[in-house]
Amino acid sequence: MSPRLLALIPAAIAINLVVGQVASELALPVYLDTLGTSLVAVLDGLSGGLLVGTLSQVLSGMLRGYVWLAFTPIQWLIAVLAALAAARGGFGTVPRSAAWGMACGVACGLTSAAISFLLFGGVTAAGVTAVGALFRSAGFSLPAAVTAASMLTDILDKSISFILLGSLLRSLPLRILGRFPLAARAVGR
Amino acid sequence: MSGLAHRAHPFTPATVALALAVMALVAPPPQGTLLVYVVTVGIALLTGGIRGVILGVVVCLPFWILLVIMHGVMGDAPRAIAVLGVALSTAGMAWALEQGLRLAAIVTASLVFATSFDPHRFLQAAIARGWRFDMAFLVVATLDAADRLREQAVRLREAQRTRGLRIGRSLLSKSRAIPALVFPLMLMSVMEADERALALETRGLTLVGPRTSIDPPHDRSIDRMIRWAALLLVGATAWWRFG
Repeated sequence: MSPRLLALIPAAIAINLVVGQVASELALPVYLDTLGTSLVAVLDGLSGGLLVGTLSQVLSGMLRGYVWLAFTPIQWLIAVLAALAAARGGFGTVPRSAAWGMACGVACGLTSAAISFLLFGGVTAAGVTAVGALFRSAGFSLPAAVTAASMLTDILDKSISFILLGSLLRSLPLRILGRFPLAARAVGR
Repeated sequence: MSGLAHRAHPFTPATVALALAVMALVAPPPQGTLLVYVVTVGIALLTGGIRGVILGVVVCLPFWILLVIMHGVMGDAPRAIAVLGVALSTAGMAWALEQGLRLAAIVTASLVFATSFDPHRFLQAAIARGWRFDMAFLVVATLDAADRLREQAVRLREAQRTRGLRIGRSLLSKSRAIPALVFPLMLMSVMEADERALALETRGLTLVGPRTSIDPPHDRSIDRMIRWAALLLVGATAWWRFG
């Protein structure tokens, strides 16, 4: 493992854990706990993103309960889509970042809904479950309510995450961006 | 950090916590899952992990409430159980009980382990066992980085408030606060990681080969016995469910 990746991975996992906590303290219906995963996937490539996603979920499981390890495939999916977005110059402008974020939100929302419904009966994080309960009280069946809630929150969450990530990449000094060819391509430099 | 869990070899609490989590998943519900939860709480109290038990209840409480709402109140008929004048779904409450106990056992086992986990003793134990140093280092560096970033997040929030950031109660106001609170944290982390990469390289952290543990934790026979017992109990629980 290169020294750069060895330094970047703890920082990215800390971003996942701490920013997720900031979003939770603000009582927002988004998680923002995958920013570090997508950041490393864009800076260093897919393998780094997959490693950050897995380790984040393991550490987060240690601090919040191992049951959340079931959502590790979501972290992998985000790493894959962030790396793909970077390779296609998906972080060059705010609208492009938002579009890729929405696409990622749809993919993650569907996967998350399947995990949430099949393993947890639709009761997972408080925010998304509260949204699911609203849909349920509006007459939706349990699978439909879980899917609608997951899609809604994930699209919002991943769009915000990708917009923030795009802004970060565009504001990085050239001397740092120059060390990460994929990130430079992601913002079209 | 105090008690038996802290004095044990670092791999022992980790093995016991993982074994309890697996047992909570495979034990026949609800009596098996309840037994695992009771055993988890018992072990936590015996080893000085009461903080983990309390944290476990705090973490699980919202889920228990949501489980009752989603599956008990909004669950399918037939409805038989009545609490505070509300008829609850029988099947829904059975599922809520099963899931709630499983969640409680797993969350409590994880949190008791997390509150007694000493990253530096873990690193020493990993080096003594000849584990890959970069992977062991990642665990320790991440926990250190998370603590540091958490402190920076608190300081940043105060600094942004003095610069005029107001976080209101509305969703829009909170959403507007996100870039001001998150963006500097991320930028700071990337810049720091860039500098740390140079430090790691000059200190030879990425060199391969055996390393010497300065103060390896003693792996006593009781530690090894506990780890084997935990493994055997996982097998016994699986046999109880599927045998």
